[in-house]
Amino acid sequence: MNLEYLWQGFAVALTGQNLLIGLIGCFIGTLVGALPAIGPINGIALLLPIAYTMGLPAESTMILLAAIYCGAEYGGRISSILLNVPGDAGAVMTAMDGYPMARQGRAGEALALSGIASFVGGILGSIGLALFAPLLAGLAIGFGPAEYFVLMMFAFATLGSMVGSYPAKTLIACTLGLMLATVGLDATSGAYRFTFNEPELGDGIEFVVLVIGLFSISEALIILENQGRGMTVIRELGRMTARMSDIVKCTGTTLRSSLIGFVIGVLPGTGASVSSAISYTTAKRLSDTEGTFGKGDVRGLAAPEAANNATACGAFVPMLTLGVPGSGTTAVMLGALMLYNIQPGPMLLTERPEIVGGLVASLFVGNLILLALNLPLVQIFARVLTVPNWLLVPGILVLSIVGVYSTHSSVFSIFLMMSIGMVGWLLRKAGFEMAPIILGFVLGRLMEVNLRNALAISGGDPSILFSSTICNLLWVLAAAVAIVPFYLSRRSRRRKMLMAAE
Amino acid sequence: MSDESHCSPRAVQVIGRGAATCLLALAVAYGIGGSVIEYSFSSDPLGPRVFPMALAVVLGLLAVWYFFSPGSAEGFPSGVVLARVLAVPVLLVVSVVLFEPAGFAVSIFILTLGSAFIFGAPPGKALIGAAGHATLWWVVFSYLLEVYLPSGTLFGR
Repeated sequence: MNLEYLWQGFAVALTGQNLLIGLIGCFIGTLVGALPAIGPINGIALLLPIAYTMGLPAESTMILLAAIYCGAEYGGRISSILLNVPGDAGAVMTAMDGYPMARQGRAGEALALSGIASFVGGILGSIGLALFAPLLAGLAIGFGPAEYFVLMMFAFATLGSMVGSYPAKTLIACTLGLMLATVGLDATSGAYRFTFNEPELGDGIEFVVLVIGLFSISEALIILENQGRGMTVIRELGRMTARMSDIVKCTGTTLRSSLIGFVIGVLPGTGASVSSAISYTTAKRLSDTEGTFGKGDVRGLAAPEAANNATACGAFVPMLTLGVPGSGTTAVMLGALMLYNIQPGPMLLTERPEIVGGLVASLFVGNLILLALNLPLVQIFARVLTVPNWLLVPGILVLSIVGVYSTHSSVFSIFLMMSIGMVGWLLRKAGFEMAPIILGFVLGRLMEVNLRNALAISGGDPSILFSSTICNLLWVLAAAVAIVPFYLSRRSRRRKMLMAAE
Repeated sequence: MSDESHCSPRAVQVIGRGAATCLLALAVAYGIGGSVIEYSFSSDPLGPRVFPMALAVVLGLLAVWYFFSPGSAEGFPSGVVLARVLAVPVLLVVSVVLFEPAGFAVSIFILTLGSAFIFGAPPGKALIGAAGHATLWWVVFSYLLEVYLPSGTLFGR
C-alpha cells in the first residue's frame, strides 16, 4: 500500500503555521462543541469564509476546518455531561450515562474518561482513513459519469433510510438541496435557470450563504425559543482523572465502538448521530447484564464518544476519495474545497497529495492536541457553558453577516442568507433536518453533470446507468439500504405486538 | 435532532399537511419554471430542462407521501416568544439596510444592542455588550484579519 501521501502530509501538517492553525482550530472546535447551541457545522460555516478571505492556502484551510470538526466532537461531550444538553448531534447518547455520572459527583471522571475514549476513537479512525482512502481512491479511478451518478443515488438512499425517523422528510430536504443547486448559469447550454433576472444569482446561490443561513440564522432563532428552559450546569466536577479500572473496563467497548463509528462514517450521508446511537445500543445489548446502562455506566459513556470521533474521521473517506460527503460537516468541507476550485475525487490523492495527506496527518496531530487540551483544560472549556445567550447570539449574528459579506462584499447575499435562515427555521419547526439540504446542494451540480455526461456518452440511452458491474452493484446496495431498514423495523414492530399479545 | 414530537398529534398533522401543501405548490412552480428555461443549444441530449423537471416530479411525489405521513414536528411558538422570534429578522433587515451607508460599526452596534435586548439582557449590560461587540469585531476583522468592511458614508466619510 502506498502511504507516500501520508508522509508528505506530515511534512505539511507539521510546519509551524499549520501546527498553530491546528491548535487554534482544536481550541475553537472544543469551545464550539461545548456550546449546546452550536455544532461543528455552525463553527465551520462561520469560520470558512473568514479563512478563505484571509487567503489561507487550501491545505491550511482544510487543516483548520478538520481541527474544528474534531474539536467539536470532543467538546460536544462537555455540555452532555455537565448540562444534560448535547453540544452536537453526535453527543446525544453521551448524556445517557455521562449526566448520571455527573449527578453522582463523578463529572470530572466522566469528562476524563470520555476524553480518552474520544482520543482512541479519533486515532483509530485516522488510521482507518489513512489506510482506506488510497484503496477506495484506487477503486474509484475506474468510475465514469454513470457510476458517479449511481453512487450519488446510493448516497441519497443511505441518507433516506439512516438519517432521522422519517425518510420522506430527509428525502424532501435532499431534493430541496438539489433544486437550490440548479439555480444559476447552466454551463453546458449557457441557459440561466431560476435566476429571476437577478444578476447576483447568475453564478448560483453561494455555498457560504446557504450554509450560514440554514445553520447559524435558524439556530439563533431556535436558541431564542428555547431560552428559559431550565438548564443547570453541574459545577462540582470531583476527581479530574479517570480510574484505571474504568479504562480497562471500557477497553473492549471503546475499540468496538471505534470500528462501528468508522464504518458508519464511511457510508455516504450518515453521521455521528447514527454511529453513536448504534454503538451505544450495541454496547448495551452486549454488556448491560446488570441493568446499569443509563444510570452512569462508564461503558455507556465510552461507546458513543469513541464512535462519534471515529465517525468524524471515517466521513472523510468518501469525501476525499469519491467527492461524496460522509456527513453534513464533510459536505460543508467539500464545499470549502470547491471554493478553492478543487474538485474532490479519486484523482485528488495523486494530483494534490499535500491536501489529502495534510488533512489526514493533521487528524493524528489534532487528536494528540485535543487530548492534551481536553484533559487539563476541561474546567476552562466548561466555563463557556456559563456565557449568557444575550452575549453569545449577537456574536453569532455578527459572524454570520461578516462571513457572507467578506466573500463577495454584497448586501444582496446577506439578505439572501437571512431569507434562507427564516425558511430553515420554518423547516426545522416542521421537523426537517438541515444537513440533507447541504448534501443535496453540494452533490446537486455533480449529479446533474454526471447524468448529462453519461447520457451524452450513450447518445441519450439511459441503459448506460445499468451497463457496468459497479453501477449494478451500487443500484443493489442502494435498494438494500432503502429496503432493509424498513423490513427490520416492521419485523421488530410485529415482534413487539406479538409479545404484547402474549 | 430529536424525533420526539413536541406538540399534539393534531398540531403535527396540521403543520405536516400545511408544509406538504406548500412543498407541492413549490414542486408545481419549480416544474413550470423548469419547463420554460430558454436555451439555444445544448451539447448533451438531456438539456438544461429535464433535471429540474425530474426534481419537481420527485418533490411532488415526496410531498404527497409527507402529506399522508407527516411524522413529528416541533411546533411553532406563540405569544411573546413568537414576537421575539419575529423581531430578530426585522432587526437583521434594519442593520443590513444600514450596513453600507452607516458603516459596519454603527450597524453592528444596532444589531447587537437590539438582539441583546431580545435575548433578555438588562439595558446597561446590553449597551456595554453592544459597544464591546462593535469595537471587538471591527478591530478583529478590519485590522487583524484585514477583511474589507464598509466604514459608512452617512456621517460624511
